[in-house]
Amino acid sequence: MAGARYVADPEECVRTVALDGLSLLFHRPSGMTHIVAPPAPQILEALRLGPADAGEVVARMRAWYDLEGDEAADAVEARLEELEAAGLVRRT
Amino acid sequence: MKHSLSLQIGPVAFRIGSAWRSPIEALARLYAGYPDPGRVCDFTVRLEPEKPWRRWIRPSVAIQGDYILPDAAPMSLAHGLLAAEMGMNLQMALGQKSHLLLHAASVEKDGRALILTGESGAGKSTLAALLGERGWRLMGDEFALLGLEDGRLRAFPRAISLKNGAITVMEREVAPQRFGPRLDGTPKGAIRHMRPNERALEAMAEPAQPALVLFPRFGEAAAARGVGQAEVFMRLTQASTNYVSLGAAGFEALTGLVGGCPAAAIDYPDTESAIDMVEQLWAEAA
Amino acid sequence: MSGTDDSKFVPSRRTVLALGAAAASTVVTIRPALAQTAGSVLNCEIPVPGPQAAGSYVAPDGSLVAPGTPGAAPPLLRPLTGEQAKLLLRGSTPPGVNPQSAQAYANYIRRLQAGMSGFTCYASLQMPR
Repeated sequence: MAGARYVADPEECVRTVALDGLSLLFHRPSGMTHIVAPPAPQILEALRLGPADAGEVVARMRAWYDLEGDEAADAVEARLEELEAAGLVRRT
Repeated sequence: MKHSLSLQIGPVAFRIGSAWRSPIEALARLYAGYPDPGRVCDFTVRLEPEKPWRRWIRPSVAIQGDYILPDAAPMSLAHGLLAAEMGMNLQMALGQKSHLLLHAASVEKDGRALILTGESGAGKSTLAALLGERGWRLMGDEFALLGLEDGRLRAFPRAISLKNGAITVMEREVAPQRFGPRLDGTPKGAIRHMRPNERALEAMAEPAQPALVLFPRFGEAAAARGVGQAEVFMRLTQASTNYVSLGAAGFEALTGLVGGCPAAAIDYPDTESAIDMVEQLWAEAA
Repeated sequence: MSGTDDSKFVPSRRTVLALGAAAASTVVTIRPALAQTAGSVLNCEIPVPGPQAAGSYVAPDGSLVAPGTPGAAPPLLRPLTGEQAKLLLRGSTPPGVNPQSAQAYANYIRRLQAGMSGFTCYASLQMPR
């Protein structure tokens, strides 16, 4: 079942600083600062491989991590919507 | 304007003009010995009558300047000194662009700075004032200026604004000639301004490397806990009026500060135990 | 201390990554408390409660209490504008605010002190005409 496809800005657009388990992101195009917790940074990494929907993002992350939690695609979909609201990803 | 004074405070030069003499006289006494800017000022504050006739009849002081709050209510002439100080605060809060501005008190020892930040009323001004009399150099009680290029803190030693109980505390510690007039009936209760000491003035141009960030809170049993870096970052953005407008430079400066400094929240029941905790945490951070 | 390098998230393979519940929230955006430049008071915002106490409820006297405390007002979904805050401080209820919570929110605002990035917003609200 394919959901909405999302795309993230290229790496140069975001300045990332990792602090005690969380990431601080400065999004250059908008000038806004976000504090993001896992799995949001990992989802952004997955999207940098190319546009994807929640299911594809889950598949990409499975290659890197052991995923924990039920309803993986639902959880990732919710994170994508959050990231979209913050302006860090957008729908294609 | 009829009466005026120019003041260099740390890296910032102010020109304060006034339709009345008394606020300028009070400012000149409080800031006697501060350097004259000798150049174009960074910010202008003007104390003006709200309506032309209010210069003489029930004198009413409106705070004007490069940056203003359009809806602000005027103040009485008796509080003219306070109006001048609030005017300077306003210019910094709204207009400062060359440094990241933090609402924080700061003191220095051995070239390293302690930053005290948190909600107003937590006692950071009083703690900084006391530390300034106990072997530390006061850098500022209201604003800390973080350099965007080098991440060092610049001193901004304005007169310390003491409120209510803190006035009595400092009157016991410090000679009477270092105080401005006691102003009662302000929106925050009683206020009295206290001049920083000679050491603070002499070292005004010397920056310091941030070394410890503390969030003091008054009124609880003595306790200290570490604060996570992301939380420190978040709280410091709330304590900054210009973080967002500085864009990437602000992000680099603040992440640099947070990444490079330990941070702790301290609860304290009285100023002496606060000072003990500060000294202990400072020794641990070295 | 560590953590200021430009780090990409490429942790070692087979790290466990918890996805969390769909309802959880993982993104916090830093919002300015002031408008872009010299302030019109209309553009200032006061979140209730502030971000460092997100989720707390507001007791009638304006202090923050645990979520769901009986008699306490819930957090506001949107920050208060300067105009709304002024109305509350005058004892009125602005549109969009529950009248039964209005007093709690008004007292919360009164307890806010200068010293946070909402400083000038609050300073102007402190000096009503």
